[in-house]
Amino acid sequence: MHKTPLLDQLESGPWPSFITDLKRVAGRKKSAADLLGVLERSYKDKITHWKHGGIVGVLGYGSGIIGRYIDIPEEFPGVEHFHTVRVNQPSGWFYTTKALRELCEIWDEHGSSLLNMHGSTGDIIFLGTTTPELEPCFAKLTAKGWDLGGSGSAFRSPSCCVGQARCEWACFDTMEACYELTQHMQFELHRPSYPYKYKLKLSGCPNDCVAAVARADCSVIGVWKDDIRIDQAAVKAYAGGELKPRGGATVYPKLDVKADVTDLCPTYCMSYDGKTLKIDNKNCNHCMHCISLMPQALRPGTETGAAFLLGSHAPILEGAQMSWVIVPFMPMEAPFDELKEIIVNIAEWWSEHGKNRERVGELMLRLGMRAFFQGVGLEPPAQTVRTPRANPFFFWHQEDFDAEAAGRKYIKL
Amino acid sequence: MSERLTDIGPPHYDKFLPPVVKANYGKWKYHELLEPGVLMHVGDSGDKLFSVRVGSGRLITTDFVKDVCDLADKFCDGYLRFTSRNNIEFLLSDQSKIAGLKDAIKKMGLPIGGTGHSVSNIVHTQGWIHCHTPAIDASGIVKAVMDDLFDYFGSHKLPAQVRVALACCLNMCGAVHCSDIAILGIHRTAPKVDHERLRHLCEIPTTIASCPTGAIRPHPDKSIKSVVINEPKCMYCGNCYTMCPALPCFDAEKGGVALLVGGKVSNSKTPPMFSKLAVPYLPNNPPRWPETVAAIRKILVKYAEGANKWERVGEWVERIGWEKFFEVCEIPFVFQHIDDYRWAYDTYRTSMHFKF
Amino acid sequence: MALSKADLVEYIFDMVAKAQGKKNIKAMDVQKAVLKEHPDQDKNMIKFGIKELIDTGRCVYTYFGGSYIEIPHEEGAAKKV
Repeated sequence: MHKTPLLDQLESGPWPSFITDLKRVAGRKKSAADLLGVLERSYKDKITHWKHGGIVGVLGYGSGIIGRYIDIPEEFPGVEHFHTVRVNQPSGWFYTTKALRELCEIWDEHGSSLLNMHGSTGDIIFLGTTTPELEPCFAKLTAKGWDLGGSGSAFRSPSCCVGQARCEWACFDTMEACYELTQHMQFELHRPSYPYKYKLKLSGCPNDCVAAVARADCSVIGVWKDDIRIDQAAVKAYAGGELKPRGGATVYPKLDVKADVTDLCPTYCMSYDGKTLKIDNKNCNHCMHCISLMPQALRPGTETGAAFLLGSHAPILEGAQMSWVIVPFMPMEAPFDELKEIIVNIAEWWSEHGKNRERVGELMLRLGMRAFFQGVGLEPPAQTVRTPRANPFFFWHQEDFDAEAAGRKYIKL
Repeated sequence: MSERLTDIGPPHYDKFLPPVVKANYGKWKYHELLEPGVLMHVGDSGDKLFSVRVGSGRLITTDFVKDVCDLADKFCDGYLRFTSRNNIEFLLSDQSKIAGLKDAIKKMGLPIGGTGHSVSNIVHTQGWIHCHTPAIDASGIVKAVMDDLFDYFGSHKLPAQVRVALACCLNMCGAVHCSDIAILGIHRTAPKVDHERLRHLCEIPTTIASCPTGAIRPHPDKSIKSVVINEPKCMYCGNCYTMCPALPCFDAEKGGVALLVGGKVSNSKTPPMFSKLAVPYLPNNPPRWPETVAAIRKILVKYAEGANKWERVGEWVERIGWEKFFEVCEIPFVFQHIDDYRWAYDTYRTSMHFKF
Repeated sequence: MALSKADLVEYIFDMVAKAQGKKNIKAMDVQKAVLKEHPDQDKNMIKFGIKELIDTGRCVYTYFGGSYIEIPHEEGAAKKV
């Protein structure tokens, strides 16, 4: 075992210590022991000691394995190769202990015994193994019903919130949609053929617990079209303090329905006179504030589905983007054909026109929204913009004149 | 080849759902928090599901997973899940087992919480444990910050939930750009070219092509067979180092931490927001990054004091104004705060709505 | 005229081999190049042509900021220089 005086200082304090945890495994795993040694070195040098490997993988796939090599292998031979294996997670990150123990057994045998539950995209991340272990590890995983997740310029492992498995607000079955889409896109998930990464996240309601709007090119967010369901007796119970605000998620003892709920409604579409809560549902913008504060009194409506937003990515290259509305509402019934079609069509348009390492959201900005909508065969809904343009630089195409002459709406495709 | 299994995808989640979840799938009525970290979901049927949420490191070992499995076997009939913020949730239908489970969790040294108006677990990247372009470590800073904010994990005493995230370089594979408080590792200097190694390790045309800003050119002296970097054009993304290991982008003394604040993804009251630059630079100071820990505490405390009920960090800052935010948090305003990238104009103030 | 499956596979292999070390080729570059010379080639056949080269190990996917198709080679990061 290497001496780790700097890392040892991370063993104190109330939050669980990853150093303490790693040390348990370091006794039986040379790779874990050397990893602690390298990390101690980085804490001293204040730089990383890893090099990127871009070739290792399992036969047939271009996804799922991230190559890593150390730059001082003579000192830390146990981590000379230290590749990552991404294992596609089950929808909603539900497990049985039996399944987890099987995964642990495979990783104890073929890797470092270190892992993340889970990575940012959603996969189970097995951290650190050598090139010869990759194929046997993969074979054991598939034998137990697991497969690798996405990496590189591929369709990435979709992820979703807990959805209808545990949440009363889920406007569609996020877990089944996630599973269906993952299965539908297996070829593209394992064989990177896009200009860059292509991510999908599904949240059941506008609270967006998996950050779909910020962290996925394709962001599917549940929404309802009809009226918020109200239990007036429960509203009174909140006003009277018998029910706790936000289901007890705060220290505030009692809800002031007017000050806390209706006055904070962003569209001022609610009122409460001390007896009855009224909602002008036509003007509701589905922000979820009132529902989150009074979960026993209010529920989303029953005509439910999802909005499809597109384009978010982290800052490289044009600056971070959030996804914007493309389809304001689509029904979301298994097998989710409309969603599959739109995701595939967009990928095709982007693959055709996108430059290397250009995310789909950047391409949309480069070529313009008209080229996008026409390219994927969709009509632009007014919900797609927050505001129309303020500049006078709008131009007309022959097809607009043709439409005008034929008495058609200009935007008709 | 024929017996080789591929493209089977993940197992169907149905195999992993507790019976109470299967029975009430899509038929949940409401939820309550019995206490910080303990959720109760009630179905239309009247069935109840209890979830006990527990914080853990993101970097864990199979030993740890097996310990967690032992608890789930003992108290939860073997059912558990993980959250999008790397918390563990033990799932029970028998309320009488909660007390025993909580005791066992505490005995393991794990914190219960992460619900409601808390600081939940910090989602983060790999840092020095695994990544080739980080400016900072990830797990170590997270540990130091969570030690300091520990009280906020197991309580609901903040005006709203506070989501903290860490990315160890500006590639942000942790996509921290919509977090209440984002910890970001920053490089401040361009890669240094190791001409001798580059000759042996790298292909020059593909290395040049790897730069997203076109900052790499062939070395003017053809006999050197290397490249040069136009430093003002470099944005420190490290992609050239991904392509070519002779172009390391780190500098032990100049790299460090930036803090961005005020992002969110929920639509509650206000639309989702980006996190914005609050502190441009803090020193990279392992093993416990005291400057970073202190700066985060300061922002959090000022937010807790100043925000209205239900106000997220970003909503609080927007209401008081950024000039006031810098004042109350005692953060000097510098050139780096002013956007000069692609869509900078959007961020300049064009009104008289400012404060002194 | 569209190539036969066997000819298509060799065509793609040659293209990848010629670019090796000079330009990183992506799956879409392959498709575009094939379609330029053989506009009637079935796109799906190109996709499966690449798959055959990968499945037989004659080509590999690589990742250096983006995913490319290359002839297998020792990577820079694995070398001890």
